[in-house]
Amino acid sequence: MPTLRRRFATPLMVLSTVVLLSACGSATNPAIPAGGPSTQTSPGGAATTAGGTAPVDPTPIDPAPVNPRSVEGPSTAVLPLTDVQPVTADPQPVLPATVTDNQGTKVTVRSDDRILALDRSGTLAATVYGLGLGPHLVGRDQSTGFPAAASLPLVTSGAHVLSAEAILALHPTVIITDTTLGPWDVLLQMRDSGIPVVVVTSDRDARTVDTLTSAIAAALGVSAQGDLLNTRVTREITQASAQITAELPADPAQRLHIVFLYVRGQAGTYYIFGKGSGADSLIDAVGGIDVATEAGLDGYQPLTAEALASLKPDVLLFMTEGLKSVGGIDGALRLPGVAETPAGQHRRIVDMNDYEVLAFGPRTASVIDALATALYR
Amino acid sequence: MIRTRDDALPPQLSAGDVALAATDLGFAVDGRWLLHSVNLELHAGEVVAVVGPNGAGKSTLLSLLAGDLPPATGAVRVGDVPVRRAHPLDLARRRAVLPQQPRVSFPFTVADVVRMGRSPWVGTAAEDEDDAAIARALVTADMTHLQQRRFPTLSGGEQARASFARTLAQQTGTLLLDEPTAALDLRHQEQVMSCARDCADEGVAVLAVLHDLSLAAAYADRVIVLRHGEVAASGRPRDVLTAELLGDVYELPVDVFDHPLHGGLVIVPTRPLNEALKNGVRQ
Amino acid sequence: MTALRSGLETAAPPPRPPMSSPDGAAATRPVRAHEGVGPAVLRPRPVRVLVLFAVLIAALITISLLSASLGQYRIGFGDVTRSVLHKLFGWAHVGHPIKDHFAEATLWQVRMPRVVMSLLVGAALACAGALMQGVFGNPLADPGVIGVSSGAAFGAAAAIMGGVTFLGDFSIAACAFGAGLAATMLVYLLSRSGGRTEVVTLVLTGIAINAVGGAGLAFCTYFSDQSARDQIVFWQLGSLNGSRWEYVQIVAPLVLVGLVGGVILARRLDLLSLGDRAARHLGVHVEALRLTAIVLVALLVAAAVAFCGIIAFVGLVVPHLIRMITGPGHRMLLPASLLGGAVLLAAADLIARTAVHYADLPIGMLTALVGGPFFFWLLRRTRLHAGGWA
Repeated sequence: MPTLRRRFATPLMVLSTVVLLSACGSATNPAIPAGGPSTQTSPGGAATTAGGTAPVDPTPIDPAPVNPRSVEGPSTAVLPLTDVQPVTADPQPVLPATVTDNQGTKVTVRSDDRILALDRSGTLAATVYGLGLGPHLVGRDQSTGFPAAASLPLVTSGAHVLSAEAILALHPTVIITDTTLGPWDVLLQMRDSGIPVVVVTSDRDARTVDTLTSAIAAALGVSAQGDLLNTRVTREITQASAQITAELPADPAQRLHIVFLYVRGQAGTYYIFGKGSGADSLIDAVGGIDVATEAGLDGYQPLTAEALASLKPDVLLFMTEGLKSVGGIDGALRLPGVAETPAGQHRRIVDMNDYEVLAFGPRTASVIDALATALYR
Repeated sequence: MIRTRDDALPPQLSAGDVALAATDLGFAVDGRWLLHSVNLELHAGEVVAVVGPNGAGKSTLLSLLAGDLPPATGAVRVGDVPVRRAHPLDLARRRAVLPQQPRVSFPFTVADVVRMGRSPWVGTAAEDEDDAAIARALVTADMTHLQQRRFPTLSGGEQARASFARTLAQQTGTLLLDEPTAALDLRHQEQVMSCARDCADEGVAVLAVLHDLSLAAAYADRVIVLRHGEVAASGRPRDVLTAELLGDVYELPVDVFDHPLHGGLVIVPTRPLNEALKNGVRQ
Repeated sequence: MTALRSGLETAAPPPRPPMSSPDGAAATRPVRAHEGVGPAVLRPRPVRVLVLFAVLIAALITISLLSASLGQYRIGFGDVTRSVLHKLFGWAHVGHPIKDHFAEATLWQVRMPRVVMSLLVGAALACAGALMQGVFGNPLADPGVIGVSSGAAFGAAAAIMGGVTFLGDFSIAACAFGAGLAATMLVYLLSRSGGRTEVVTLVLTGIAINAVGGAGLAFCTYFSDQSARDQIVFWQLGSLNGSRWEYVQIVAPLVLVGLVGGVILARRLDLLSLGDRAARHLGVHVEALRLTAIVLVALLVAAAVAFCGIIAFVGLVVPHLIRMITGPGHRMLLPASLLGGAVLLAAADLIARTAVHYADLPIGMLTALVGGPFFFWLLRRTRLHAGGWA
């Protein structure tokens, strides 16, 4: 009964405050520095650094500094607030589609007329958009906030708790979800009510975006569009990574040592995202070195201050809400162990929206771009 | 544990039958004997008073007789059943126990509490007598007018009488009373003891732990004097309650004399001469 | 009453020592004088109890229907009533299902199981509370004392952390249930000595086991991955969201067992309020009674906790309120508490899911919010009126 009821509060607050710069329609990143002295920075820069205003540049990646370690101060990675581009405007679903979902349940989908795609990171809804079925979405989770979907009714209450009645009130013909939203029993109730529920994997990883996309596409009877989307997303990711890598020093020793930390409040313990958590593939994609993976840390583990210091990260990657919960940059620097790292000494703290940062899906390339901009500018 | 049996009703005792017998009864805590080789027989129709100074083992004796404590040596039988091996229900139909400090943890009414005394008889023919037995017990304990009061709101003496009524309502062949008069005023002391006497006259065997020696002398057929966990003396009050023995047992000089009007024994500590009397003597 | 009083007065001449009376008057024997007094004992006020039961049952039906009619999915009261009538009396062509398939599904797959579950869980918790207070002879006793809640919480957390799935959707509930029972048995066995259980030892052992359970829970929370951790926290908060008929089918028989067992034990629980010794003197096998009652409590609470998490204070508050009306006799207290608990939790759940738009408040939080201050008031009141329970 893997019910997942998330406690992450106030999702998408960051997004709602973002000033959208639409020059060239490309990723321009107004910084929303998360507290501390960086709050005075101009909201106009693409990944501003604290203490100074970076020049506005419409291109996602500027020629990188000779040494990425020479950058100082915090920054925030911001995903452009744009819709996912569908691979086709008018997909022709082949229905009914019968699939065996991630839990081994055989599900038959008879209609794509009213789709609910729900998960904690908003990946599933974004994928449905990418497949061209966006207009058929009838509700959304808290993490789905791009313009085309923002006005859909919410079906979660509180943080990430599914509301059975809100779902039924939308008369869905199919529900695509994973195990990150709960209670699981609500999904069973939906099945009891005769609605096909397709459960996909809750792993989010740059390397497995295509499997997830294919699974969703198959369930919705649009496998052809799934392939198209996969091709596009893979190409975008490769391009983005290649572009970043090209501008980085060839010597791996010169690359940024990054640690992705999960913190909540001032308890003094951290959880680190290690190998297989998704964070590793993200760090990899932006040309950094995931020192947690190097150190052999698997998945999601508690970490002491000393262990953190011994990893000697150049950059600490936070989720925005997590950073807020410890009191912003200054609070983060006061966390035990942080000041003892090179990242702490140079105030190299980068944060990104809690849901977006590990969402992957069709917008993976944008996430990589945004993070790279925040890291290397 | 759910038992309602008619077949195991206790046999009726007639006067003189042994209602309760203890042989070689002993109880020790941490190697110290609180009670040692006590033998006693309680007969239907008699009142036996157990007296003795504090720590003599009176309450321990009563607990052993009631089956609350496992004896270190010896055994107790109530009528036809051995106390240690009997089901509580079999014992409850043979003997009732009045605790020293009555306690009721919820605000039951006096009537409720007295009715609890009838619970051993649930499911038996005796159940038909419930209401009559309760009414009589209430009257006897002088609690009828208080029967709708909540137990915790009663005074100490009233609580003691309510408990006494509960014990009476149980209508058993044997009554074990642990200091039944301790919390009572003079009138109710007399009333409770006279009631115990009446019960005995009806064929009940009554054993009461008492502190008031005059009361024991007035109502008991036999008195057992305990000292350091052993029986110091046992027999008719007039034979046992002598100034010599009591002075010895209580380690205090005691005067024992006949009441000038009714002739009953009066037992009081020897006290210095009253000032007024002294003056009178001088005149 | 009057007859009794006058009867008493004739009995009142101060009894004299029977041995010898100087004036020669025969000693009056009050007992003899009153043999033949009829049934004089007033029974508990049946009218008051009848009214209570009528009110509770009416409240139960009203709240259930109200709860079934309110929610995010708007379904009219008339539709609900007709659909309920159809389910109940469809064979007699009474009522009809709602035309909107989704509304009908919402009503019968989402709302109704939840309403029924809230009734059952409330009944179970209140019944367990009443039993518990009877066993301990203390109106402040709570099922939490015997470790069942913390045991169940630990069991659930361990199952979530370990990804236990041997029973499919019931795995976590089963683990919680088993661990709750196991913790209770452990408390009981550890506090048993020489064939008897002292209440104080039992409570202290319960505290120790609760501490160990709490530590186990903390361990699981700390070493679980992120999703499991969130799940554990939510499980602890308690919620009726996601109740299904399958769960109702499991909890309902357990509640029935609890109720029947409770009623069978009721008279003996009354006796237990006289204290262990006096109860034994009245024929109660105290140890067996206590064990049976504790097992019943563990069954009831574990069943409730397994599916809905920890819902505090229902077991404490409901029997206490009911006792104020019915008096402390368990034969009335247990069934009335059962009804009262059902009504209270159904009402609380109605508030939990409708008070704040789009939010499904954790019901455990809600009951604790109301129950906590009530508990405090209870303590104060007891201190003022009775000097406390020592």
